[in-house]
Amino acid sequence: MRLRYTLHVVGILAFFLGLTMVFPLLFGLYYQDESVMPLLKSMAVTLGSGLALYLAFRSARGEVMSHREGMGVVAIGWTAAGFFGALPYYWGGVFSTFADAFFESMSGFTTTGASVLMNIEMVPRGFLFWRSLTHWLGGMGIIVLSLAILPLLGVGGMQLYKAEVPGPVPDKLKPRIRDTAMVLWKVYVLFSAAETALLMLGGMDLFQALCHTFGTMATGGFSTQNASIGSYHSPYIDTVVILFMLIAGINFSLHYQCLRGDLRAFWRNPEFRFFMGAVVIFVLAVSFNVYHTAYESCFDAIRFGAFQVVSIITTTGYTTADYEMWPSLSQNILLFCMFLGASAGSTGGGMKCLRIMLLLKHSYKQLFSLIHPHAVTQVKLGGRPVSNEILHSIWGYFMLYLGLFILCSFLLAAMGVNVVTSFAAVAATVGNIGPGLGLVGPTDNYAHIPVLGKWLLILCMLLGRLEIYTILILFVPEFWRK
Amino acid sequence: MKIIIVGAGEVGFHIAGRLSLEDKDVVVIENNAGALRRVCENLDVQAVEGCGSSPVILEQAGIKEADVLLAVTDSDETNLVASLFASILSPTTIKLARIRSEEYLMYQQALSQAPYHIDVVINPEDEAVKTIERLLQVPGSVDVGEFADGRIKLIGVRLEADCPVAGTKLVDLEEKTGNKKILVAAILRDEKVIIPSGGDQLLEGDLIYFVSEEKELKEALKIFGKRAEPFKSILIIGGGNLGLKLAKALERLSIHTKLIEKDPDRCRKLAEDLDKVVVLQGDGSDQGLLQEENIQDMDVVATLTGDEETNILTSLLARRIGAHKTVTRINKFSYFPLVSAIGLEHIISPRLAAINTILQHVRRGKVLSAMALKGEEAEALEAVALETSDIVGKPLREISFPKGALVVSIIREDEVIIPTGDSVILPQDRIIIFSTRQGIPRVEKALMVKLEYF
Repeated sequence: MRLRYTLHVVGILAFFLGLTMVFPLLFGLYYQDESVMPLLKSMAVTLGSGLALYLAFRSARGEVMSHREGMGVVAIGWTAAGFFGALPYYWGGVFSTFADAFFESMSGFTTTGASVLMNIEMVPRGFLFWRSLTHWLGGMGIIVLSLAILPLLGVGGMQLYKAEVPGPVPDKLKPRIRDTAMVLWKVYVLFSAAETALLMLGGMDLFQALCHTFGTMATGGFSTQNASIGSYHSPYIDTVVILFMLIAGINFSLHYQCLRGDLRAFWRNPEFRFFMGAVVIFVLAVSFNVYHTAYESCFDAIRFGAFQVVSIITTTGYTTADYEMWPSLSQNILLFCMFLGASAGSTGGGMKCLRIMLLLKHSYKQLFSLIHPHAVTQVKLGGRPVSNEILHSIWGYFMLYLGLFILCSFLLAAMGVNVVTSFAAVAATVGNIGPGLGLVGPTDNYAHIPVLGKWLLILCMLLGRLEIYTILILFVPEFWRK
Repeated sequence: MKIIIVGAGEVGFHIAGRLSLEDKDVVVIENNAGALRRVCENLDVQAVEGCGSSPVILEQAGIKEADVLLAVTDSDETNLVASLFASILSPTTIKLARIRSEEYLMYQQALSQAPYHIDVVINPEDEAVKTIERLLQVPGSVDVGEFADGRIKLIGVRLEADCPVAGTKLVDLEEKTGNKKILVAAILRDEKVIIPSGGDQLLEGDLIYFVSEEKELKEALKIFGKRAEPFKSILIIGGGNLGLKLAKALERLSIHTKLIEKDPDRCRKLAEDLDKVVVLQGDGSDQGLLQEENIQDMDVVATLTGDEETNILTSLLARRIGAHKTVTRINKFSYFPLVSAIGLEHIISPRLAAINTILQHVRRGKVLSAMALKGEEAEALEAVALETSDIVGKPLREISFPKGALVVSIIREDEVIIPTGDSVILPQDRIIIFSTRQGIPRVEKALMVKLEYF
């Protein structure tokens, strides 16, 4: 990999990230809180570093971004984003250690929503806005946004796009990658605007509505309230958030087709049917399970059951109820949802429905060929054959995901974290969900995890968001060889 | 502008790459997964897997919004069916199809009418034969393009060390030669295009492109130290489609031609088809045979077999024995830079020739002909100046042309003007513009409508 060129492009991204800090700054100025100076300082440092990288590593023109540099830019770029995003918190005194600030920032960009803040409502609003904005930027992807806006990244854009967009095979909606990125962001902005308006109708002010929209559309989960969405006690707001979490968990290219007038695009898509089927089944199961055990009324059972299932399966992580008080079947279902995740091409995390679906189909074909040893079988998706190459890469991904989960939860347990907590914390960070079970449950936070454990979880979040391969490749020596 | 390309072979891949760099929306249809992956990984275009002749796939690729359909698979039948369905689904789309079979080409007229409505039939071998013919007409040149129905030629010559003008600055060129109408349009040095200004020097080893009128060509070539006697004898090695076509064309020009072919059956067929050409059966790389046929007295040796490695080696062998000039057929584009480095100046590729023809038809505005330079870093376009265009009615110095673009000739009825800064383009003039690849989109815009962006 050519490190110079990679850093040159990372410089562009950092500069761009610095520009986005203007938005929390505006809120800070409006509310006249203590976030203004730290934000200004961070912005100056981010812009300056970006420019310095850009200029220092400028080289002869006409360099072409290869597959490797594409992955390098995305991996290093995201790490840099986490670093620069942590500066406002650290300088603003929100956290005493840099590890905490970095954790919060990375949790934002990777749309995890796991927090180390003890008391959210005490934090100046400029910081809270930045916290939610990092969700929104990370949700559709910093790189995808840059591709849409910056002409500088036009060449080699496909390499970057592939490395950042979740899912085994990214769709290209338009012939040019720039137009594709633009379309995705337009859809994203459109839905975000709609949700903000609906939330404001439900009684939130602009600041809260925007922050929660960012948390929903990016399937992030940061809230401005200690009790998350639950603090509003409003069935209306719950419904709006459920709706938009679902939207965010569906492949955005389907939204695009739908907005162009092809309403049946949703139903034709096998992954959508699988995803919605899973949502409906789990909502029914959980609601039935909590009815009479945790909630007296049928309405409450469905309202809280549906919210929690949708929140976890789309890997958002908003909470309206303490699901640790629920029967163990419900908790088990939620834990499974953490692994399943949302659709490919959505802003959600997890393993993605598409992968699980193909693995199930492939496993069935294996069984089938045991019964008919001479049968020629082919895994198909929506009537189209899926190549063995893709299936292999999915099995590889599955194994890596599980391996990573096991290894990291062992490491966390070795640091003295208890069994349930260590399993759930890793599952909730690799899946980009946020709240887990045990000591990192819906009413707790991650502040008590040992420092080393926090760094481990930061890595987990990054691995989960960039779908493992992009980050893991940095640790392969072959990658760095010239 | 949306362009659908059916087939991601050498031609399709190459054109897709060229067009996607020019801000066009390109969709490539291909049914070979390997070829398709090459497209996905290297080009910023949309890739659709499937057979291009299928109407379902065409519709999926968005044929209804497409401005141009290029059917360039290796199969004539696929190309024909793709064009047929395109003309049913979207009658306004311009259709270009690559057709190689002689039988189909005999009905070229019919293909341009219902039901196919193919706008342009491209036969790579025909284009290649035309290219060779042009090269032969201008001895000493490396690359030849024709504009204004052949009245103006764009000639590329390699500057040798003993050439009188080597080391001269362009401003001094006129003085030194006493000739007024030489315009150096571009210099290719170390694979880079220089659109020159007066201060640029001509150096040994440069590939120089200049514009000249047909009648002044001999004079012009002399300036660059090239002899201008026409060729009298040619030896063709390889009697495939291309060899046969070239031999036929040369027969018409009454050039003494010999043709060597390995396969005895094919030789018999060749002998039946050709009258004056001497058909020889044997191996083209057989030194004894070449000497026996007096290769050292032949003006040109053209190696045109289907195997490019054989062609390269045979050409080198022929030069060693004493051939003056060789023309080598090469298919793989990646060999091009290598081949000129080992001293084979004239390369012919049916595919490259086809690409040139295709480019001319996908250009917007009223483009009459187009030619890509060696190395493909620049292009020359001949176009009609439209009244609505901003380049009309103003002295050239006041038009801010994109960087790297240059108007090299203005053709007004029978007159050819080599423009200066004071020249004015009038509506309906034909102009020849030279531009680097980066400048092409803006040149196109300039030719079409008002120049909003300059």
